Amino acid sequence: MMLDPRITGRIQYAQDQHMPGMLHARILRSPYAHARIVSINTAAVPRDVVCLTRDDVTDLEPLYGPMVKDQPVVARERVLHVGDSVVAVAAPTLREAEAALEAVEVEYEEMTGVFDPVEAAGDSSPVLHESLDYPPDLRPDGRNVCHRFRLQSGLGEDGFAGADVVMEEAFSIAGAAHVPMEPHATLAYWEGGRLHVITGTQTPFNVRRDLAALFRLPEERVRVVVAPMGGSFGAKTFMRLEAVTAALARKSGRPVRAVLTRAEEFVTLNRHPARFRIRLGAKRDGTFVAKSVDAWWDTGAYADCGPSVCTKGGYAAIGPYRIPNVTVDSRCVYTNHPPAGAFRGYAATQGVWASERMTDLMANRLQMDPLELRLQNLLRDGDRFATGEILQDVRFADCLRAAAEMVEWGSDRKNKGLAVMLKGMQTPSRTGVALDIDAGGRVVVRSATTDMGQRPEPTQRALASQALGLPMEDIVVGPNDTDLVPFDTRTTSSRSTFMMSNAIREAAAELRRRIADRLEVASEDLVLDGEGAGVRGTPGRRVALSDLAGLRAEGSFATPGGLDPDTGQGVASSHWHQSAAAAEVTVDSETGVTTIKRLHTSVYAGQVVDRPGAELQNEGSTIFGIGTALLEAIEFADGQVTNGNLSDYEIPSILDVPDFTYDFVEGGQHAHGLGEMAVPVVPAAIGNAVAAAGYRMLDLPMTAERIVDARPAR
Amino acid sequence: MKIQVRVNKLPIELVSRTDETLLAALRRAGFQSVRLTCGIGVCGVCTVLIDGSPISSCLVLAPAAAGREITTTEGLADDDPVAVAFQEVSAFQCGYCTPGFVLTARALLAETPNPSDLEIRHAMAGNLCRCGSYLKITKAVRLAATRSRLDSN
Amino acid sequence: MIEEPEWHSPSTLDEAIALKSRLGEAGVVVAGGTFTGILVANGLIKPKAFIHLAKVQGLDGIDVGEELRLGALTTHRRVELSPSIRQSSWSCVADCFGLVASPRIRNQATVGGVLCDADYASDPPTLLVALGARVRLRGRAGEREMQVADFIRDHYQTALGADELLLEVVIPQPPVHVKYVKFLSRSSEDRPCVGVAVAADIDEGGLCRSLRVVVGAVSGRPQEFPEACGVALGERMTIDIANEIGRRYSDLTPTLSDVRGSAAYRRRLIAVLVRRSLEPLAA
Repeated sequence: MMLDPRITGRIQYAQDQHMPGMLHARILRSPYAHARIVSINTAAVPRDVVCLTRDDVTDLEPLYGPMVKDQPVVARERVLHVGDSVVAVAAPTLREAEAALEAVEVEYEEMTGVFDPVEAAGDSSPVLHESLDYPPDLRPDGRNVCHRFRLQSGLGEDGFAGADVVMEEAFSIAGAAHVPMEPHATLAYWEGGRLHVITGTQTPFNVRRDLAALFRLPEERVRVVVAPMGGSFGAKTFMRLEAVTAALARKSGRPVRAVLTRAEEFVTLNRHPARFRIRLGAKRDGTFVAKSVDAWWDTGAYADCGPSVCTKGGYAAIGPYRIPNVTVDSRCVYTNHPPAGAFRGYAATQGVWASERMTDLMANRLQMDPLELRLQNLLRDGDRFATGEILQDVRFADCLRAAAEMVEWGSDRKNKGLAVMLKGMQTPSRTGVALDIDAGGRVVVRSATTDMGQRPEPTQRALASQALGLPMEDIVVGPNDTDLVPFDTRTTSSRSTFMMSNAIREAAAELRRRIADRLEVASEDLVLDGEGAGVRGTPGRRVALSDLAGLRAEGSFATPGGLDPDTGQGVASSHWHQSAAAAEVTVDSETGVTTIKRLHTSVYAGQVVDRPGAELQNEGSTIFGIGTALLEAIEFADGQVTNGNLSDYEIPSILDVPDFTYDFVEGGQHAHGLGEMAVPVVPAAIGNAVAAAGYRMLDLPMTAERIVDARPAR
Repeated sequence: MKIQVRVNKLPIELVSRTDETLLAALRRAGFQSVRLTCGIGVCGVCTVLIDGSPISSCLVLAPAAAGREITTTEGLADDDPVAVAFQEVSAFQCGYCTPGFVLTARALLAETPNPSDLEIRHAMAGNLCRCGSYLKITKAVRLAATRSRLDSN
Repeated sequence: MIEEPEWHSPSTLDEAIALKSRLGEAGVVVAGGTFTGILVANGLIKPKAFIHLAKVQGLDGIDVGEELRLGALTTHRRVELSPSIRQSSWSCVADCFGLVASPRIRNQATVGGVLCDADYASDPPTLLVALGARVRLRGRAGEREMQVADFIRDHYQTALGADELLLEVVIPQPPVHVKYVKFLSRSSEDRPCVGVAVAADIDEGGLCRSLRVVVGAVSGRPQEFPEACGVALGERMTIDIANEIGRRYSDLTPTLSDVRGSAAYRRRLIAVLVRRSLEPLAA
C-alpha cells in the first residue's frame, strides 16, 4: 500500500524548502510594548550577514495590511507591541543569524502603552496610528478605533419597551494562540525580474496582491507558491513573513528562508480578546423582543482582518433567533498587544459564547427549559435575520434537537447545557477553478485552495469526478502556484468546499463542451468514462483523453454581498453555517476541575463529499472548542506574553478529550463548510452545563480556579 | 563533531556541534520527518525511537546519541502495521505530528501487544495534535494492535 | 565561528568528579539531559563544557534490599516499570516516578537529575521527602549523605557542592500506608499544581503511630509541618482529624502563584487534598 507522505514524514512543508545559496533569516524584535526607536546601530554585525532596517525599505510602499495599511516591513519611528519587528538579518547559517541579532544595538525610549480596548478608545490613551488611509467600507471612530460596525433593525433600543423581562450581562473571552504544530515558514527569492515566494499561507492571492503593492510591482511579477501547512487555523493568513523575507532576498540577492521560533508564534498573530455587554428583552412566554450587543475587540497593534472579525462577531452575537428589534455596536480597537486576526471559529466563538450564555440566563429567569426557549425563537425558513436577509435552507432546530437528544435532555437537565449558532461565511467572495487534460490523459484540477491539514485534495478530485463522470484515478490536483491557478478569494471561513463545488461544476460543464466540440458532437451525446471520451450510440468513436491533452476550461463562482457598516443591513453571508452542541459535565466543587461526561455536536453538512475528511474536521474543531472552553488563554502583563510556550499555554491532549460524538445533518443541494462549526458552540454548551451545575460562568476560559471561585448559586 | 549512529538500521555519521540537539543533527542529515514544534519536550512532534524507546530528540544533545540505534518514519516498511492502520483509518490531518504518533504507537505495541483503550490513550497522551485527530489515532492504534495479534496467532 | 563547548564522556566517577572540580561553573553535568537539553537548545545557558555521565559505571542500578537504592542515572521509566520495585513495599515510588511528564521524558530523565534540578513543579521530591529518603554525594573530599529534605533548598537550588556528584538515592522501609497524589488543575499533561505525599503507620489497634504529610509544587521546595500532624498521633484517624490537618497545612504552607493556579487557590486546594489523602486512613 502506498503510504501517504504525511505518515512517512516525507511531505515537504515550507520549512523543508531549500535553494542553493539560501540564507537563513531571523528577526530582532521589540522588548517594549510601546516605544520610540531612538537609534539603530548595525556596525557590529559581521560582514557576511545581511541586515535589513527601516533605511532599506524607503523605496517601498511604507505600509501594508489586508484591510487597513498600517503595518511596516520593519518598524519605522515606533514599535507598537512586544515582538514588533525592528531589524531583520539573513546569514549563511541559522546560528550566525542568531548571533548577528545580538550584535545589533537598538536604543528605545519607552512610551506609555495601552492594553485594554475600552481604555484605548478613551481620551487619555496614546494614539497608536496617525493618519492612516482607511478604505471606504471601514468606519474608524475616534481614538484607536479602526472600525465600528453597527446594526439596527426594527425599533432598535426602543424595542425593549415591549419586553416583560429585560436582562443585561457582561461577558469576556480571552485571547488565544493558534498553536499550529508547524511554525510560520517562508522562502523568498527574486529571479527574472519577478518575486517568487514559497510559503505556508491560506491566502495566496492576498499575499500576491499585497507584495505587489508593497514592492510597487504589477501583480504578474509576483508569484506565490503555496506549501502544505502543518496546521494554520487562521495563523497563516495575509502577509506574515513574506514581506520581510522578500525584502531580505532583494537586499542580499540570494534566496532567504525564515522560520519562526515557538516563542515568536505567540507575538505574531493571535485570537482577539473580546468583551461583550448583552441586553436581552423577552415576553413572559419566552418570545424574544429585543437584543442589544455591545462589543469591544482588542485587535492589537495592527488591524489585520480585525474589522471583519468585529463585524462578524457582532452579528454572530445576535444568534439564530427571530428578534424584531436588534442593536449591535461592535468596535475593533488598536492596543499595544500583538496583533489579532483570523482564528478558527472566526469571531463566532466570542459572539456565540456571549449570546448563548445570555439565552440560558434568560431561560433561568423565565423558569423555562433552555431547549424550549431556543426552539420557540429559532429562525425558520423564510424568516428575516437582523441584517435584513431572508434565510433559506434553515436547519437550526434539527441540529439543536439532535444534540439535545444525545445527552438525553428530555430525561433531566442536571449539569447539561446546549448551544446553537449561526456563523457567516466570507461574503462577498469569488472562486475560480480550471480543469485541463495533461499529456497522460489525466484531468488536472487547478485550484488555489490551500492545504492546512483539511486535505482538500480528495474533495477536489471527488467533485471533479462527480461533475465529469470520470473515475477518481483519472483526476489529479495541480500545484498551488498563482502562476497556474485561477483567482480564489482565500481558504478561510469554511468556504472552500462550497465555493469549489460550484466552480468545479461550471468548469466541468465547460470542459465537456470543449471535448464535445473537439469530437464534433453535441454536449449531451458526449460520454466520459474510464476509457476516455466517446459518443453515445456510436461505440466505435472513442478518443483517449491523452489525445485531448491541452484542453482546458475554467469555471467560477461568486457570491456577492456585504453589509452596510452603519446599519448592518445587506447580505452578511450568502451561505450560513449552522450547528449546535450539547454537553454534560461534572464539576468537583472543591477543586473546580470539570470533567466532560458527554459532548455532542450536530452540524449542517449538506452534501458530504469526503467523509473521512469531514469527520476529521469536525473532530478537530470540537477539540479546539474544548481548549477554548477550559484551557486556553494568552496571558499578558503590560503587553508582554507571559505564557508563550507549550508547557505554560496548554492545548488539549488526548486524555483531555472525552469520547465525544457528533452527527452531520445531510441533504439539500450544497456541500457546506465544516472546518469550524463546532468551535463556537462547544464552549457555550459546556459553559451552560457548568452553569447548570451551579457555577455562573461569564468568562472564557473556565479554568478550575475560576469555577471554584464562582460559588454555587443557592 | 562527527557522531556515529545507526538510523533505520543503516550506519550514519551525524555532523553536529556539541551543543546542538539530535533533532537538528538528524534534520541536517536529511531526516525531515523529525521536526521542531515546542522545543521543550512536551509536544512529541520530534519523537524518535532510540534503541526502541520513544525520546524527544529536541532534548537530546547530539553527542549523547553516539552508538545508539535511532528509528524514524523514513525507515517504515510499506506494510508496517501501524503505518497501514493510520492510512486506512485516515488518522491524520496536516501530518506534522504524525511521525511522532506512529513511532510512539510502534513502541507501545512492541511493549504491550494487547493494550486497552486506556493504555493506548495514556501512551499517546504526551503527543499533541492540534488538528485534533485523537479519536482516529486511537482507532488506528487499536486496529494495528488487533491485526498484530491476529498475525502472531 | 562561534566556539562549541567541549564534550567530555568520563568513564569513571573519579574522572567525572575531577572534571567537575576543574571546570567549575563553566561545566554542565548531563545525566539524562532533559533539563540541560531545554536550557541549551533554547539558548538559556552557553556552557564551556559538558560532562556527560552516561558512560560512568555503577550509577545506574536498582537495589531492593533493606533499603531501596536507586542509582543516579536510573531513568524514571526503569523505576516505573521495575518488577522488583513494583513487587516490593516501595511500589508507591514506582507509581510516583510513573506520573512524571510523558513516557518520552521518563525514558530519558533520571533519578539524580530530578533531584539536582530541584524544579519546584516536580513529583518525586515530594514523595521522597515523606519517605525520609537520603541522597549520597561524592566530591573530592569524599562521600556524605543527607536527607532529600535538606538537599533541596529552593527552586533550582540544592546543597550539591561545586565538586560533587549525586550517586544514589536511598529510601528506607516505608510505612504501610503511603500515597502520592498529583493534582492537576489544567491539562492531563500538565505539571503538578499541588502534590501531596502521605506516609503513615497504623497499628493493629487502628491507632496512628507515625504520620508524615508533605506538600509539593506549591513553594520553592517540598513543605512539611510535623507539628500539624501531631493531632493524629496515638489517635484513630477520623474525618475531623483529616480535616484539621488539612486546614493547618493550608494555613502554614507558603504558596506561590503560577500558570497552574494562584497562591490563594493553592491554599484552598491544600486543605482539600491533604484531607482527601488522609480520609482513606479513617476507614
